[in-house]
Amino acid sequence: MDTKTKLKKALADELNLPELTGEGYNDDAALFGEGLGLDSLDAVELVIVIQKHFGIEIKDMDEGKTAFTSINTLAAYIDKRLSA
Amino acid sequence: MTRITVQGIGVFGGFGTGVQAFVHALESRPVPPSVQPIPTGHGPMDLAAFRADLTPLEALVPARTLRRMDSFSKMALLGAHLALTDAGIEPANQAGLGLIIASGFGATTTTTYALLDSIARDGDVCTSPIHFANSMHNTCAANISLQIGATGPNLTVSQFHLSVPSALLTARQWLLEGRVERVLFGAVDELSDLIGYLWLRQRGEVNHGPMRPLATGEESAIPGEGAAFFVLSARDEATPGYCTLENVSTGRRPGLVKGDSELLILGADGRREFGAAYAAAAEGAEVACFTPHYGSMPPGPAFDMAAAALMLREKRAFASPEHSTCDFRASLLSPGAPITVDRMTCLTLACEQGFGRIELGRL
Repeated sequence: MDTKTKLKKALADELNLPELTGEGYNDDAALFGEGLGLDSLDAVELVIVIQKHFGIEIKDMDEGKTAFTSINTLAAYIDKRLSA
Repeated sequence: MTRITVQGIGVFGGFGTGVQAFVHALESRPVPPSVQPIPTGHGPMDLAAFRADLTPLEALVPARTLRRMDSFSKMALLGAHLALTDAGIEPANQAGLGLIIASGFGATTTTTYALLDSIARDGDVCTSPIHFANSMHNTCAANISLQIGATGPNLTVSQFHLSVPSALLTARQWLLEGRVERVLFGAVDELSDLIGYLWLRQRGEVNHGPMRPLATGEESAIPGEGAAFFVLSARDEATPGYCTLENVSTGRRPGLVKGDSELLILGADGRREFGAAYAAAAEGAEVACFTPHYGSMPPGPAFDMAAAALMLREKRAFASPEHSTCDFRASLLSPGAPITVDRMTCLTLACEQGFGRIELGRL
């Protein structure tokens, strides 16, 4: 399973967002605000989900903010950290 | 003196959802309990229980809104929506509305299983923040407040089977002192696997029905779950509402004084240890008891209150289920009989000699 598919499945399960794994979901859509509508509590959960499922700790919040833009940016960030 | 009226009622439980379903239940025989397998250390055990159906909430609140809510908060939110709608109040932008939630056990599914499972499975570093947030005692009230835009004072009260009268004391006080003009007051408890397990451990016997709460010395309790919410108002409302909230008191049983010409709605729920005390409290009085419709649970007094409010508004009596097994030296209210009294008192007896009285009056 590639990173993006695994990420979407993890977020769908842990944040109760079944639409993420649907065919029509735009992976460039914003995760927060007008897009998927996530909020600050989801952001904390997101950090935990990534640590739990990919073993990656996000400590630099500036870096995290950019990574949390969309599914595509987050998957790219995870791949970059895993290959470092 | 400020008059407090019950403007709206939102109820659901084993009998169904909404005031009409409740009235239909009160006019009929109790529905039989369903059987729920409860996980125990020795495998699943069947428990007969009055379960509530949460699916009506899906038609009232967008699925996205419910995404992070646990079943306990969903139950309370359904009760809140039903009560506000019944009162003719839109469940949005309710600035200034006070909110008080009473619960005997709180969010036991989330607290005990979801959060602790997360700690056990993922370690304290990766424990789910959402499960943690849902495990807080006042998260349910916060969820309702956010959903209906209620920015007034907000309180959650837990005192087991006296949670309802204890919380109602504060609701009444807020209205009398003019802190708010309306309070959304609700009682809720869920029958989680934990509560089912504790029921089996503590009570041991499984009654598949019916409950016979007026048979002294008989153990016939069946656990229930659900919510009963009320819109309480100190305003001169356009609609007349159901009844007035005259008084609320709690105390110890030696101080339990019977009122004159009052009709007692007994919270007797088939727990053997309270049978004799209810019989003594009811002696010589006109009484009714409706617990076989919703089961044994801490929010029971709120369901009693809803039944009393309906009888006061409709000026007719509902039958006490299983009245033929009553051995109390009391006069049972005849079904369909006109209600002639101006007041009804919902009486709850609790452990350590505790009692709670909720007095309602005719409008």
